[in-house]
Amino acid sequence: MKKGIYRTLAWTGIRKNKKLYLPYLLTCMGTVMMCYIISFLGTSSTFGEIKGGTTVQQFLGMGFGVMSVFSVIFLFYTNSFLIRRRKKEFGLYNILGLGKKHLAVVLFLETLIIAAITLAGGLFFGILFSKLAELAMVKILGGTVAFTLTINFSSIMQTVTLFAVIFALIFLNTLRQIHLTNPIQLLHSENTGEKPPKGNWLIAILGAVILGAAYYLAVTIEDPVTAIMIFFLAVVMVVIATYMLFVAGSVTLCRLLQKNKRYYYKTNHFVSVSSMMYRMKRNGAGLASICILCTMVLVMVSSTVCLYIGAEDSLRNRYPRNISLDAVTENLEELDGSASEQTEALVQKVVEENGTQQENVLNYRTAVFGGVIEGNQIRFDDSVYEERMDNISNIWQFFIVPLSDYNRLMGKNEELAPGEVILYTTKEMHYDQDTIRIGDSEPLTVRKQAEGFVDNSVDSMQIFPTMYLFVPDFEAVTQPLLENSLMDDGRRLLSLHWSYGFDLPCDDEKQIAIEDQLQREMDELHTYSKDFTDFRVIIEGVASERADFYGVYAGLFFLGILLGIVFIFAAVLIIYYKQISEGYEDQSRFEIMQKVGMTRREIKKSINSQILTVFFMPLITAGVHLAFAFPLIRKLLLIFGLTNVSLLIVTTVCCYLIFALFYVIVYRVTSRSYFSIVSGMRGE
Amino acid sequence: MSILEVDAVQKIYTTRFGGNQVQALSHVSFQVEEGEYVAIMGESGSGKTTLLNILAALDKPTSGSVRLDGMDLSKIKESAIAAFRRDHLGFVFQDFNLLDTFSLEDNIYLPLVLSGKKPNEMKQRLMPIAEQLGIVKLLKKYPYEVSGGQKQRAAVARALITNPRLILADEPTGALDSKSTDELLRLFGEINRSGQTILMVTHSVKAASHASRVLFIKDGEVYHQIYRGGSTENELYQKISDTLTMLTTGGEHK
Repeated sequence: MKKGIYRTLAWTGIRKNKKLYLPYLLTCMGTVMMCYIISFLGTSSTFGEIKGGTTVQQFLGMGFGVMSVFSVIFLFYTNSFLIRRRKKEFGLYNILGLGKKHLAVVLFLETLIIAAITLAGGLFFGILFSKLAELAMVKILGGTVAFTLTINFSSIMQTVTLFAVIFALIFLNTLRQIHLTNPIQLLHSENTGEKPPKGNWLIAILGAVILGAAYYLAVTIEDPVTAIMIFFLAVVMVVIATYMLFVAGSVTLCRLLQKNKRYYYKTNHFVSVSSMMYRMKRNGAGLASICILCTMVLVMVSSTVCLYIGAEDSLRNRYPRNISLDAVTENLEELDGSASEQTEALVQKVVEENGTQQENVLNYRTAVFGGVIEGNQIRFDDSVYEERMDNISNIWQFFIVPLSDYNRLMGKNEELAPGEVILYTTKEMHYDQDTIRIGDSEPLTVRKQAEGFVDNSVDSMQIFPTMYLFVPDFEAVTQPLLENSLMDDGRRLLSLHWSYGFDLPCDDEKQIAIEDQLQREMDELHTYSKDFTDFRVIIEGVASERADFYGVYAGLFFLGILLGIVFIFAAVLIIYYKQISEGYEDQSRFEIMQKVGMTRREIKKSINSQILTVFFMPLITAGVHLAFAFPLIRKLLLIFGLTNVSLLIVTTVCCYLIFALFYVIVYRVTSRSYFSIVSGMRGE
Repeated sequence: MSILEVDAVQKIYTTRFGGNQVQALSHVSFQVEEGEYVAIMGESGSGKTTLLNILAALDKPTSGSVRLDGMDLSKIKESAIAAFRRDHLGFVFQDFNLLDTFSLEDNIYLPLVLSGKKPNEMKQRLMPIAEQLGIVKLLKKYPYEVSGGQKQRAAVARALITNPRLILADEPTGALDSKSTDELLRLFGEINRSGQTILMVTHSVKAASHASRVLFIKDGEVYHQIYRGGSTENELYQKISDTLTMLTTGGEHK
């Protein structure tokens, strides 16, 4: 009997607050669904068998962690909205004789009902859509999969456990809140007089300074290595500054406007400014959260989409030709000796045996070493590596290339005297000196800066920039360096490379076959020919690497989209609750203003402008953040071998526009329910 | 000349589905002369609030007319009605209706700001009123910081600052303790003596006893009225009590 009452109370508690609980239920379901899908894809065996699948699954494993943390924060936040609105109801129960213990029972049942509904619904849709997600993912990776629906019980367990814990935490938090307040407070919790917010000057200025500093950092960064290190610092700074500015800065601004009597005592500004102050005090943190969520979505989606679209470019950067051979040796004679000739002949033989021919042949020699640029000197002795943490952004990769190879590959006809050099630098780095010294050798005169050179896999794999030095007398420059580079422990700091690559006009399968055969015969050559003692050849084929390569990019892309969707959900829900709770608060104000002599139109206009400001401030701020983050993102994507700036600009702008469109739709929908609440009293 | 002429006002509410009709006011007629202090009394449900809403142009009568300074309220265009209310009427409510986001000063300025007055002029108008009402020191405070009586005095200042033709007060003492009530009624008397016309709806005998004329409403019509004439507040108080007793015991009059 008694139990029945609790159950009824719990049920009606949810049903009576439909407007509040429905979106909450939907969000819970949405997060459950997403968690299940991510967990499912992360452990699905069919998925793991596809090429590149395992790489994606590693990302998804990380994604589940992100989702868990996010779910906790997010559900806590939305639940606090619900509790705030329902405190009055609890107070009434309390006064009517329901002890706090009984309230706890009711709340427990409510939590149980919500948990049951959302888990059941979330898992149902999760299982339903997991197949769809799997198909989409497989499609992206370019595999095939059977159309059978599988249910992964360990994923279900994982999801259920996660949410059981979250709901338990939420329940305990609600209890704590109710225990801390007495019935009268509960009853009046909604309309206690609020202190006028005091604008905190210090925090506002500090916020502006931090934001300025973060922007400055982001804009002035030159090399990708520093970009990585700065990125997280900048993100943290921007997050802190956004909170500071939204919470304190906005109130301070309103205060300033209020001080300006000319401005303040205008029909349009009077009501707006003073209500905005309160609005921002209450919602500053929420708006800042929305702003950060928006920025996160935009950065994540635009960069992952860009990476995915640009994957073929990056692939070409990483593997400049369909099949690439890289030979390493330690003495100059071998570089031009019979070993390279034999290898070339072998390649020609294998390709011909397979009934095809080499195209776009790439063939050049380099001397490769790493070092630090100090002034006009390249230092590459061992001490450089000991102190590298201090000047990590000065570390370069150096390639010395014969001028003849440069002229041949680039179709140029440059001529240099001995002691002169042409330079080419990658990753948008610059070298502005007139001369350059390699180690302790004689300085070389920089004749000009080249506009480009062939892609090189070493450069695209490194986060460090590369400098190519094209010299007319390769042997003369390299020989002394080679001698100096031998360390006491037998290591060499400089190595000689022979790069050979070619495209094949046949499909991936054939290419893989050729690569395999080449590998086999190359191994034999290594074993039996005496010319190959120091000459080691490594073969890489783009066809066999493509799946794994796409695995990484598609994984990031997929995860970016999934988390993007989740974050958008979150932003939408926060917006909705904000509108609803503000609607209730503004209701009485609306009445008063009407009685005092404001027309409905004026009130509506004033409210509209306030809502517009509150609503679009996060979106606009997110846009500004994104604009300032752009140079940083670009530098980071350079590391991934993505050099296509216009692609990045287009995807970023598209993402922003799509997002803005979505945002406006949400605004339209939620503002309607806001107005229905505000004018509810009159309408009835 | 009468400031306010209420002529045969009838108000019928129709429930949402058009089924039942409820008559809130059946036939109300009276006039208020310039400088008068009129109290309207009646039990809850007698139609007092409906009448006040109609006088305030917040609601329209089903039939009959209300004229302020000879202007028919129902003829004013919807778009102009808020401005009309702002310029010609002052309101004092039972629950003060101060905006909690404004300081008392800004609350008082609200109608002037809406009319587009300059800050200097607003200040000039405010000072004498604030002094009369004794709230000069409270102007910078916020509603949650002051007592009910002080809030009500701020609300009175807001009603007075536009120099309205008529002040409409809806149970102004309803939410006040007896000391604040006395204080407010004294102020109302003072304001009235300086020439301000006041129309107050109340069911407090004490409040009504300060008026120069008391109208009684029962079942949607004016049932009886008492002029102060030469009587003191105590005598008027007695007369009102007697009338109310008669009203509730159902004595026949007319």
